[in-house]
Amino acid sequence: MKKNKDLAVLLLTGAVMLSLALFAWFSPAKQYSDSERRALALFPALNSETVLDGSFTKDFETYSQDQFPLRESFRRLKALSVRYLFRQKSNNDIYVADGHVSKLEYPLQENMLDHAAGRFNHIYEMFLAGADVKTYFSIVPDKNYFLAEANGYPALDYKELVALMRSKTEQMTYVDLFYLLSQEDYYRTDTHWRQECIRDVAAELAAAMGAQHSGEFTEVTLDVPFYGVYTGQSALPLKPDALTYLTSDVLEAAKVQYLGDDGFWREGSIYDLAAAEGKDPYDLFLSGAEALITIENPLAETDKELVIFRDSFGSSITPLLLEGYAKITVVDIRYIQSDFIGAFLQFDEQDVLFLYSTMMLNSSTALK
Amino acid sequence: MLFSGIPFLYYFLPCTLALYFLAPKGLKNTVLLAMSLLFYAWGEPRYVLLMAAVIAVGYVFGLLIGRTRGTGAAKLFLTAAVTTFLAILGWFKYSGFFAENFEALTGVALAIPKVALPIGISFYTFQIMSYTVDVYRGDTAAQKNPVTLAAYTAMFPQLIAGPIVRYVDVEKQLEHRTHSVAKASAGVRRFTLGLAKKILIANALGELCDIFRASDDKSVLFYWMYAVAFMLHIYFDFSGYSDMAIGLGKIFGMDFMENFNYPYISRSVTEFWRRWHMSLGSWFRDYVYIPLGGNRRGTARQLFNIFVVWMLTGLWHGAAWNFVVWGLFFAVLLVIEKLFLLKHLNRVPALSHIYVLFAVLVSFVIFNAADMTQAMGDIGGLFGAGSIALSSTEAVYELRNYGFILLIAIIGATPLPKMAATRLQETEGGAKVLAVAEPVVLVALLLVMTAYLVDGSFNPFLYFRF
Repeated sequence: MKKNKDLAVLLLTGAVMLSLALFAWFSPAKQYSDSERRALALFPALNSETVLDGSFTKDFETYSQDQFPLRESFRRLKALSVRYLFRQKSNNDIYVADGHVSKLEYPLQENMLDHAAGRFNHIYEMFLAGADVKTYFSIVPDKNYFLAEANGYPALDYKELVALMRSKTEQMTYVDLFYLLSQEDYYRTDTHWRQECIRDVAAELAAAMGAQHSGEFTEVTLDVPFYGVYTGQSALPLKPDALTYLTSDVLEAAKVQYLGDDGFWREGSIYDLAAAEGKDPYDLFLSGAEALITIENPLAETDKELVIFRDSFGSSITPLLLEGYAKITVVDIRYIQSDFIGAFLQFDEQDVLFLYSTMMLNSSTALK
Repeated sequence: MLFSGIPFLYYFLPCTLALYFLAPKGLKNTVLLAMSLLFYAWGEPRYVLLMAAVIAVGYVFGLLIGRTRGTGAAKLFLTAAVTTFLAILGWFKYSGFFAENFEALTGVALAIPKVALPIGISFYTFQIMSYTVDVYRGDTAAQKNPVTLAAYTAMFPQLIAGPIVRYVDVEKQLEHRTHSVAKASAGVRRFTLGLAKKILIANALGELCDIFRASDDKSVLFYWMYAVAFMLHIYFDFSGYSDMAIGLGKIFGMDFMENFNYPYISRSVTEFWRRWHMSLGSWFRDYVYIPLGGNRRGTARQLFNIFVVWMLTGLWHGAAWNFVVWGLFFAVLLVIEKLFLLKHLNRVPALSHIYVLFAVLVSFVIFNAADMTQAMGDIGGLFGAGSIALSSTEAVYELRNYGFILLIAIIGATPLPKMAATRLQETEGGAKVLAVAEPVVLVALLLVMTAYLVDGSFNPFLYFRF
């Protein structure tokens, strides 16, 4: 019996290792990981310089991980092992609670808040201080505000975060949104809030800025499954979210222009339906990562203008504010240097809203 | 190259096994040497020449000592060889430490260039040094074939993190070794279990230690979790590596000495060191302690010898004061045990276990600190120094997050799983179950570990730095 067992050990382990090895050596390389939304490492440059400085072996390590056969299945196996075999509460800081997937955001990084507030104040001093504008500041809580502490995960001190940010932006009128939101207002598999659930948030902001807001929209649910960013990161088998957007006569009549990388404006739309079927369906809203967008409202009953400095949470709420303005300019200082904004935008008689999520504020190095 | 990496498991190892088993008997050592040099060059391309030089020195002096054995010249050659090895080790490992302390004492800065520590230098210099000493003592003949000696010194399974294999122990196997299904199967089993200890347990506990170190929310609970986690981490990391080395050795027909024997069940520190890093302990015993006189020259001299050996043991682990203190900490405990404590410990088994675990826990807190200031801070933290809270949100969360792994590690550090498997094997039904289950479990483990590696990032073994 022992002889058979020994033979079985050798044959089984040998067969598995050899099969995977041959698969790894001869499989064509993949360029991109849809689930992780990143380019995969390719075979590194092999020459005397890269060998001697050690970069070849280091890069080969990454290449061998990225291009390993059945990579997604192995990532899932690891996620399931972490969760069910080793009973760990999170995998790569991703956790599941109350049917939602989220990423731990902890601890509070005051230096990041300083940096964010520094950028906002820089913009204020440079463009807004002497201009006839009203400036508002609002913070969007991330999902962890509702999920983390309630489920035994470490969470940011949100009170402290808000207090610190308010104290650093005293020249702006703060609009509280926390009390209007709950975990149901967010996608289960993604970081973002659901547009169809934030009408009250839009109403609150509009009211604070004295803008008209009827709140009348038509819901349209797309026939595509929305696997949010946490689906790939968690590697767990998750059910998709539904992707719904709100439209109205105002939004259908809107004229939207995006500033291209070449410095020229191009026409677009509020909702990018092609993007909804792409790698990141949340790009449905204002086409995702864009430095500068102008949205004109030909049906406006006012000449009020709004400038929104925002992160990705701003993409889905901006359309809901259009009714109250003749024009909204959307600025993302992750993709355009603050100092250059003046070349595209005159500040005069506008409402200016700084709308940022707690995640961005607590990790603000991207703000330029 | 790391055993616990995709390049090793799915590129290097299959190629090496294929070449090795296809090679005729007379070329097997050559294949092993060539692949070992490639294995080393993968991480340290420039230092392959240094290792080759060390082997060359060992080879030449081995021959010279062998030819002149019994004469004064042999002693001279041995002195020259040992001095050369220690000089190389000293330059690459200790020159910075020496310069730093010399400057602190005298204010004079020495212009010693900063050199990177070659991986595994402490292991391979100790191996080749013991070879020359053994030739001098007449315990073995000088190896005339440079390929055989180089294959012994550079053999990749134990090259960079031990166990410290002595030439006399594998001399015959280097020339004539047998390969069998039973031996290879035992090797695969041992290697896979070692890999699981490293990837599934040690790495997870290492993460917990990193989380603790980065946390601003430390508490007494967190300090204890860290200390326990590191104590288990270093055991599973290092013994896992030794298991892999021993397993690979068996696949290639070699029998390396055991390096660990459930050290955390010890009832005295003396016993602990008979069970922990056994190849290093016996090396210092045979090549330092006994030549210094051991216990043959009276109690005072014996105590002095113990302190010398343990200071060197500390320094062997790293060129920093916390390693010296770590070694001397054990020296003090061993002396106390030798003088009076040992006989009392045997009478109170439960207390003796607690004493050993606590002493070892404190020692590893010192061991893993960046410096003595941090070590003292960490030890203080265990007892609430600095008015820290008893518990914290993060500590409680991490306890829930890593609690099950800690439990597995604690049970896995005892002989209980092995005893259970042995008992099962002894019953007829159990043997049948194991015959089916064992290959399946090993393959399942291999797949789960591959999943961790595919998803994971670079995570080197602790003992690579020694």
